Amino acid sequence: MSGARDLDAMLDAAPCGFASFSDDGTLRVVNQTLLDMLGFGRADLVGRHVESILSVGSRIFYQTHFFPLLRLHGRADEIFLLLKPREGEDVAVLANAVRHERKGEWVTDVVLLRLQERRKFEDALLAAKRAAEEARAVAEEQRRAVESANALLERQAMELEMSEAQLLEQAAELERQREIAEDANRAKSTFLAMMSHELRTPLNAIGGYVQLLEMGVHGPVTSAQLEALDRVTRSQQRLLRLINDLLNLARIEAGRVDYDLRVIPAEDIVRATVVMIEPQLAARSLRFETDVAPGLSVHADREKTEQIVLNLLSNASKFTPPGGSVILRARESAHRGDAVEISVIDSGEGIPPHKLEGIFEPFVQVERSHASSLGGTGLGLSISRELARGMGGDLTAESTPGKGSTFTLRLARG
Amino acid sequence: MDSPVIHRNNVKVLGRGTQPMLFAHGFGCDQNMWRFVAPAFADDYRVVLFDYVGSGKSDLASYDAERYSTLGGYAQDVLDVCHALDLHDVIFVGHSVSAMIGVLAANREPHRFERLVLIGPSPRYLNDPPAYVGGFERADIEGLLETMEKNYLGWANVLAPAIMKNPDRPELASELEASFCSTDPVIARRFAEATFYADNRSDLAAVRAPSLIMQCTDDIIAPREVGEFMHRALAGSTLAMLRATGHCPHMSHPAETIEVMREWLAPAGAVERGAERRA
Repeated sequence: MSGARDLDAMLDAAPCGFASFSDDGTLRVVNQTLLDMLGFGRADLVGRHVESILSVGSRIFYQTHFFPLLRLHGRADEIFLLLKPREGEDVAVLANAVRHERKGEWVTDVVLLRLQERRKFEDALLAAKRAAEEARAVAEEQRRAVESANALLERQAMELEMSEAQLLEQAAELERQREIAEDANRAKSTFLAMMSHELRTPLNAIGGYVQLLEMGVHGPVTSAQLEALDRVTRSQQRLLRLINDLLNLARIEAGRVDYDLRVIPAEDIVRATVVMIEPQLAARSLRFETDVAPGLSVHADREKTEQIVLNLLSNASKFTPPGGSVILRARESAHRGDAVEISVIDSGEGIPPHKLEGIFEPFVQVERSHASSLGGTGLGLSISRELARGMGGDLTAESTPGKGSTFTLRLARG
Repeated sequence: MDSPVIHRNNVKVLGRGTQPMLFAHGFGCDQNMWRFVAPAFADDYRVVLFDYVGSGKSDLASYDAERYSTLGGYAQDVLDVCHALDLHDVIFVGHSVSAMIGVLAANREPHRFERLVLIGPSPRYLNDPPAYVGGFERADIEGLLETMEKNYLGWANVLAPAIMKNPDRPELASELEASFCSTDPVIARRFAEATFYADNRSDLAAVRAPSLIMQCTDDIIAPREVGEFMHRALAGSTLAMLRATGHCPHMSHPAETIEVMREWLAPAGAVERGAERRA
């Protein structure tokens, strides 16, 4: 009948492969399109097992997936398979299949569409998918690396913070110590000032009453008593000097000294101090000279400068044996254009080098070969240096044992 | 029946008997493949069906890539089911790769298994020249993996739900659920690799339980040479040659499958053990 033949012709020429096989896999019908797709003749395929047109991988897939799907669901759609042609490369196809009874037998009809082009796109998509997964894995690894680097940085930042905190703490501690030291210093100065006053009052009383006794106010005084009283007076004077010096030093150290800085001609200072030291120098038969550069002025506190120069002259006269010489010199500083140096040069015993710096320390007196005490509290030089520095200058010493010493007061030029 | 394994492995129990018959599906499918065979034993046995984790309606969240990268992980599923149901004197029925999974399980807990039914088994699929014919080369397995990759069965599980859920066509969703081959493609690939790259030939010697090897005609996956190898290696084994062709006699020829099994399971007198039986 033409209708059936038309269908056969249409099936053969259909734009897709068509096959029908029984449950045991035997191919019953194949259309021409399929035969052309695979390069077989009809006689080559009809009666053969459907596996014979499948690649090996697809055969396994057929047994493990395709057939069970058909058997249990009756259909399998959009199944990808690789067909094996007579020769050449495998042919990728997409299969739709249905299993049903026909003429009392269970058969599977399958339609096969070539998938060559789509297969390329799919392969590209799958490759891109895999690449993306790999990239994600790499990114994940990098993220972990960054995280651990971050964690490391955080730890280091924390450590730095801790160090900073420690430093701040140390600074605060130092500040506290400084305040404690200052407090202690101030307390000491206050104490000294108070004690000086407490000490001076009774000493003044002693001096007063001794004087009265010497004057005979309380009755006639024998010469032996006068001698004894004289010794009392001398001790009292010494104590008084010590207390004054202590107080001075305390005041200077506490920075509670006012400096009245003016321009003073060096001549004036020299004249004032010479007048006071001359008796002492004469008494020890010491030669004395002054050497003052003309027109020289200092910018300093007059009273304190005189005190320092007097101190130096007094020491020079004490430590220079009779017959020696003392020179009082005032001139421009050789090293600094804006300074004046007032020096006291003696020809005394000198001071050993290792003791030189120490002589400016409070209570230090260079040991002497003779037994007699030369008086003095040992505060003179330390006070003098503090005062010199307080005026913006300094007090230094040079010495050659056996030859003499030079003490130099440097002051600002006026 | 409280154990989480019941849910995890989608365990189903049917039957009026006391002795358990545990059916283990092969690679590519799930417990539905036993639809034509298992009910036949429900009168005489306690029939237990399950899905391996990663297959069928098992709990995919329980999938552990490392555990299931070898057949040992799957053997543990079998044992987990036995523990959960407290099964003893088990008759284990395994298809394809499940045959070897059953061998591994029986080796771990021999006291649990009374006998083994192995349908289309193979201890190694790759050829091992000069002597061993497994049937395949590496390139063939790679071809299988490519074919699996290109088949979107189970991709519903990994594609964004927005793409696959279609409120206008609710029947699509149920269709996908009904498709028992809808395994996660990544899991399926790993199962394929675990199966086809395995070599369990040395595990056969330790089997004590009597076993039935059901060999199909023209089975490309478990060819006749492999069946004979199994028979030589398994002590106390019976090699039954089936008329059924292909790899799934329990689906293509359920009647013959049931008959062969029944005969072998019958009390000792009826069948000679250790002998070949021809149809």
